[in-house]
Amino acid sequence: MSMVDKATSKRLLAVHGWSGVLLGLFLYVVVITGTVAVLAHEIGAWSVSGAGSEDPFSQPLDARVKALSAQVDPQFREELAVYPNAAGSLVVFFHTHGTNAAGDPDDLGVRFLLEPATLRVLQRDEGYGAEMPGDRQSALEQFISTLHISLHAPNPVGLYLTGIAGFVMLFAVGSGLILHRHLIKDLFVAPRRSSRLLNHRDRHILAGSWSLPFGFLLAFTGTFFSFAGAIGLPIVAMVAFGGDQVKMIETLVGAPPPAVTSSAPMASLDAILTDARSRTGQSPDFVSVVHWGKGDATAQITHGPNGTSIDTTNLVYNMTSGVFVGEKPDIGTRPSLGSAVFAWIAPLHFGHFAGLLSKAIWVALGLATSYVTLTGLRLWVERRSATDGWRWLGDAIAIIGYGLPIALVGSAAGFVLAHPTGDTVGAAGQGFIVAAMLAIAIGAGQLWLARAAVAQRLRAALGCGLVALPVLRMAMGGAGWPELLSATNTIPVVIDLVMIVAGGYFLAPAAIAILGKRGRAPTIMHGAGLEAAE
Amino acid sequence: MKVPAHVGLALRWIMAGPLTVIAAVATMASTPLWWPKGAAGVDNLVFAILLFPAFWAVYVFYSLIEPKVLRGVIIMLAVIALNAVLIYGQF
Repeated sequence: MSMVDKATSKRLLAVHGWSGVLLGLFLYVVVITGTVAVLAHEIGAWSVSGAGSEDPFSQPLDARVKALSAQVDPQFREELAVYPNAAGSLVVFFHTHGTNAAGDPDDLGVRFLLEPATLRVLQRDEGYGAEMPGDRQSALEQFISTLHISLHAPNPVGLYLTGIAGFVMLFAVGSGLILHRHLIKDLFVAPRRSSRLLNHRDRHILAGSWSLPFGFLLAFTGTFFSFAGAIGLPIVAMVAFGGDQVKMIETLVGAPPPAVTSSAPMASLDAILTDARSRTGQSPDFVSVVHWGKGDATAQITHGPNGTSIDTTNLVYNMTSGVFVGEKPDIGTRPSLGSAVFAWIAPLHFGHFAGLLSKAIWVALGLATSYVTLTGLRLWVERRSATDGWRWLGDAIAIIGYGLPIALVGSAAGFVLAHPTGDTVGAAGQGFIVAAMLAIAIGAGQLWLARAAVAQRLRAALGCGLVALPVLRMAMGGAGWPELLSATNTIPVVIDLVMIVAGGYFLAPAAIAILGKRGRAPTIMHGAGLEAAE
Repeated sequence: MKVPAHVGLALRWIMAGPLTVIAAVATMASTPLWWPKGAAGVDNLVFAILLFPAFWAVYVFYSLIEPKVLRGVIIMLAVIALNAVLIYGQF
């Protein structure tokens, strides 16, 4: 039985439906980009034919970093960040803090990009972090991640927009839960074949019932990420600390040690990294050092989730003696329930807590959630298919439903084409826009030619694009499968195979039609999809 | 007290829209003042921010489920006022 009376149920259903109609396609954009972003790092590695180094922090870095520190203005040695990019190159960023031209607090310093193995400087940039040219090797990964996080809108507007999508999803999940009359039964509903509308409704309910917990998890953690920094922390800090920023920083990250302004030799970074690896059993993801070259220098070695530990591990070292100081939570100066819960939010949202396995599950659940979003919209249109205005919404669902993945394929193609010599940062964005325009043109052209086949044409275009990407990568100088497999560089091969299989899936109906074996066309994401009402 | 249907609809929109957002932000802002600080003194901050979506969800669903819209508006205003008093007391 429904949890609420008939009038309330009707009211909730109306808001559930209308919020979906008005914001469902926007929600789809955020969910499907998030699904792809789960694999952003792997896609980034694919785009550059794999990381040049299996473990960038296992190289002897100490002498190179010390030599680079001598090349930068002493004020930039206030803080040092070292981390690998998609290609396995190391980013070494000496910086201080300031306010950039946009008036935002920003890191100011010199950033080096070091080639794996040789540690040769590939790129050197100086200035504010936000104003530096992007890392050309990580451009595709960055493009995909930023598309999901803020839709490439200026901050904080982009964060607010994705936060609103989180609220819409949270409401859709909550109202779906309340409106379900037979939640347990719906988990095992067999889609009826007596009518097309009932069949689509049953499929929507089936997928929606199974993805309810995941949808709730994503909406909750995603809304946190959108609003925590932009609204939550400033407000909460203002109330809790009465505007005392020093007290806030001492509570959140700890009081700084007594300042020692005299210069001091730095301990061996390599020895510290070896010790950190022996303590955690894994390679670090990020190294930061405060007050490089001074007597109070401290290093923090961060290890991400690795399957045995779901949260991050931060090890602190005295950078003058190299002595291990202790472990530090992400937030606060000692372990607590709040810091433990905080540490779980990112792994649960990004799905990277158990490596590729958990990422694959998160991608599958993300696709199911995208499917529920689109089929919910499609049901709304099908019920009103007699009205011409609603048919236009049906066309928009097909164009955006397939157009966005086509645009993502375009961004990957743009990157790959520019990778040998060009500006990959600009090319990823330009490829996205060109492919989006192409998808809109195909959709619009098909509306004029034969409206019923809009989804089929776009699906075939998506299939062609996906199949072409591995070929394009290799044609532009990317490593081939034998070379990658002999170097145990399997990620690009796996991504190539996923693209070929997915492309084949989307192309199959067109191929069958061409071969004269006309059958019922399969649909996007496991069945009854975009062309259901075509 | 019975309110006309169109007024009731308008009040429900106001309750589920702006009042819900204000109440959720106000509750988040006041939470650090009453939530236990925990061993590291950060639990009250973390849970205040983490529960912001939950505060919003509770208020929006209450706005849509409450059968008496006028009572709903009064309760929402009371929640906002209570949180405002708590926050004001901090300064």
